[in-house]
Amino acid sequence: MTPPGISPRRFEEALHAFGAAIGDGNVFAAEDDRIAYSDHYSADETRQMPSAALAPASVEEVQAVVRVANEYRVPLWPISRGKNFGYGGAAPALRGSVVLDLSRMKRIAVDEENGTVLLEPGVGFFDLYDHLQDNDIPLWLSVPGNSWGSVAGNALDRGLGYTPYGDHSARICGLEVVLPDGGLVRTGMGAMAGGKTWQLYRHGYGPSWDAMFCQSNFGIVTKLGLWLMSAPETVVGVDLEFDQPDDLGWVVDTVAPLRRDGVIQQSPSMGSWLRSAAVLTTRDEWTDDPGPLGDSVIGAIRDRFGIGWWSLQLRCYGPREMTRAALDVIKRAFNARPVLAMKEARWERGDSPEGSPLTGVPVSFPLANANWHGGRGGHIGYSPVLPPKGDLAIEQFRRTHALYQRYGFDYHGSFAMGERSLTNVNQVLFDRDDRDMMRRMDAFFRALVADARAQGYGEYRTHIEYMDLVASTYDFNDGALRRLNEKVKDALDPNGIIAPGKNGIWPAALRDQAHEA
Amino acid sequence: MKPRRFLSLALLAACATATACGDDDAAENASAPAQRGFIQDRSSSSPAEALFVEKCSMCHRAHGMGTIILARRMPPERAMLESRDDLTADYVRQAVRSGIGNMPRISRGEVSDAQLATIADYLAEGGP
Ligand SMILES: Cc1cc2nc3c(=O)[nH]c(=O)nc-3n(C[C@H](O)[C@H](O)[C@H](O)COP(=O)(O)OP(=O)(O)OC[C@H]3O[C@@H](n4cnc5c(N)ncnc54)[C@H](O)[C@@H]3O)c2cc1C
Ligand code: HEC
Repeated sequence: MTPPGISPRRFEEALHAFGAAIGDGNVFAAEDDRIAYSDHYSADETRQMPSAALAPASVEEVQAVVRVANEYRVPLWPISRGKNFGYGGAAPALRGSVVLDLSRMKRIAVDEENGTVLLEPGVGFFDLYDHLQDNDIPLWLSVPGNSWGSVAGNALDRGLGYTPYGDHSARICGLEVVLPDGGLVRTGMGAMAGGKTWQLYRHGYGPSWDAMFCQSNFGIVTKLGLWLMSAPETVVGVDLEFDQPDDLGWVVDTVAPLRRDGVIQQSPSMGSWLRSAAVLTTRDEWTDDPGPLGDSVIGAIRDRFGIGWWSLQLRCYGPREMTRAALDVIKRAFNARPVLAMKEARWERGDSPEGSPLTGVPVSFPLANANWHGGRGGHIGYSPVLPPKGDLAIEQFRRTHALYQRYGFDYHGSFAMGERSLTNVNQVLFDRDDRDMMRRMDAFFRALVADARAQGYGEYRTHIEYMDLVASTYDFNDGALRRLNEKVKDALDPNGIIAPGKNGIWPAALRDQAHEA
Repeated sequence: MKPRRFLSLALLAACATATACGDDDAAENASAPAQRGFIQDRSSSSPAEALFVEKCSMCHRAHGMGTIILARRMPPERAMLESRDDLTADYVRQAVRSGIGNMPRISRGEVSDAQLATIADYLAEGGP
C-alpha cells in the first residue's frame, strides 16, 4: 500500500529517506503496523488505513521528516497519542497517508508557581498526572472521559473535560509548531527568543495564532503550553437525578444562567441512564430483544443503579467560603423543582482524593462501553452545538431520540453545558462485527447531521469519515469559510503534505476529487 | 514503595453514575486507607513494573477498562493481569500487537518491541 499517486518504488525510496532522518527502527511499514494505526472502532479497519507510520523523537526529527515529505509529496497525518476514539483513532482522513506518531515525545516542564505546563505531544493524561503526583505539585488536570490519550492532542481537537478548565483549547497558551515547509515557529510571547512569558500571556503581539492550529492542518504542534488549575481548598456540589425525559428543559434553563454568570464554572454534563449501564453491563444482561429498549428495561437499569432518566453532577471549586455560598445559590435554584433525588458532594483538601474526572483524575473505565453489544464494539461521536435553551434542548432530544429508534440504536446522549452553548454529545454505540448495524450506522449518522443542519446547529468536532460532510454544513456565502481555509492551506502548504482532508480542508492537488466525493 | 491497593469491582457496580462515585466501602483490603472514586494504584517497585504501569496499568489495574471487561469472561479475581500465573510472554505479545476483543492494538511507536518484551516477561513471571 502506498499514499495516493505515489508508486511503490518511489514510496520505498521515501521510506528510506525517512529512515535516514529518524532511524530505520522508527519507520513502521509492516501490515501489523498499518492496522495498529487504523481506526479500531471501524467495521473495516483497512478503509482508512495509513500506508506507514513514523515516530520521531525530537522537533529536529519532525522537521527532517517534513522536508522528506515535501520532496516525495508524501501526506503526513500528525497524531499526538492517536486515541481519538469515536472520531477516528489514529487513522488519517485520507487513506494511505503516513501517520506521524509523536507519542515518543514526552517532555514535561511545569511552572508550579504560575500553574502552567509546557509539554510535548506524547504526554498522556496519566503521564502528566503521575508527574504532578510524584513531584507533589498541587496542580490539577482536566481530563476527558477517555484519559488514555494525550493532553496536547485532545486540546488541539478542542476536547472537553469536567473541571473549570474543561474547555481544553481555551486554556492553551503558546505553541511551538513545525510548519508545512519544515520551518519552526513559536506563537504568542514565545515569538521572542528567550521570552519570559510564553505560557503566561496568550495574545502575543499582533495576530494570535494558537487557534489556527486547532482542528486544522496548517502545522504540526511539537510543544503546547497549557494552564492548569490550582488544587482547590474545597470541591462541593450536588448529584442530581431527574425522572422524566422532559425534565431536560427546565434543568437546562435552571443551569444556563448559573453557568453564564460563573456560579458554576465547570462544564456539567447531563447524561441518560445508558451512560452507566453501557460501562458497567452488557445489553444481553437486560434483554434479548434487539428492538428499542422499552420502559421495563429502562426501569430495571434505573433501579439497579439508583439513577434517574437523566443524571447531572454540579461542582464548585475554591475556598470554603466561596463554594459554600455558590452551593447555596445552586440549591436555591433547584428548590421546589421536581428533582427526583439530590445528594450533596463535598471534598476538602486533606481528604483522600475524590477520584473521578470531576477532580481531574484520569480514568479508562468509560472505554468499557465499547462492549455494550457484547462483542467488539465502539462508537461514533455526534456532537451538535445548541443554544442553552430548555425548549430547544427538548426538541433536539425528541428528534434525535426518534432517529435512534428509526435506525435501531440505543439512545446514548448527553448535554454538556457551556457558558453560552449546549453541546449534545452522543456516543452512538455499535457492534463492529454486526454488518447490518454498521450499514445502518452510516445512514443514521448522515440523518443526524442533516437534522442538526436543518435546525441551524453544527457539530463541534467529527469523525474522519465525515469531515467533508460536516464541513459542508458550514455553508454561509456558498462555503466562504471553506474557501478561506483552502487559501490559507495553499499558502502554507503548497505541496499539500499535512493532513489532507482534516476538518474538510483539502490541498489544491486533491481538492476536486474531495469535493466531488 | 507506596502501599498497594486493589479495590473490588463491586465499587464500580455500586456507582450511581459513570463519572462520579461516592465512598468506597468495598475495599478488599481492610487495612488499606479509605479510598474513593476511581483512583488507581500507580506504584511500582522495579523498572519492569514501572513500564507496565506507564503502558498498561490504566486499563489493567483496578477500575481499568481491561479489568472490567476481563471480569466478564473470567472470575473477577483473575481479571487483573498482574495476579495471573498462566500468562505466557508470547500470549501477551500477541494480545498487544494484534489486539484482543475490545483491547485495541498497541503500536510500536507507543510500546517498542524491547519494551513489550520486558512487560511480557514481567507478566509471564506472575507480576510483582
Ligand atoms: C468512552 C469514551 C469517552 C470519551 N470522552 C471524551 C471526553 O469526555 N472529552 C473529549 O474531549 N473526548 C472524549 N473522547 C474522545 C477521545 O477519545 C479523546 O478526545 C482523546 O483524548 C483523543 O485522543 P488523543 O488525546 O490521543 O488525541 P490525538 O488522537 O493524538 O489527536 C486528535 C487529533 O488532533 C490532531 N492532532 C493531534 N496532535 C497534533 C499535533 N501535534 N499537531 C497537529 N495536529 C494534531 C490530529 O488531527 C488528531 O487526529 C472519549 C472517547 C471514548 C471512547
Ligand atoms: C485501553 C485499555 C487497555 C490498555 C492500555 C491495555 N489493555 Fe490489555 N486488555 C484490554 C481489554 C479491554 C482486554 C479484554 C479484551 C476482551 O476480552 O474483550 C484486554 C486484554 C488483555 C490480555 C488478554 C488477557 C486474557 O486472559 O485473555 C492481555 C494479555 C493484555 N490485555 C495485555 C496488555 C498489555 C501487556 C498492555 C500494555 C502494553 C495492555 N494490555 C494495555 C484493554 C487494555
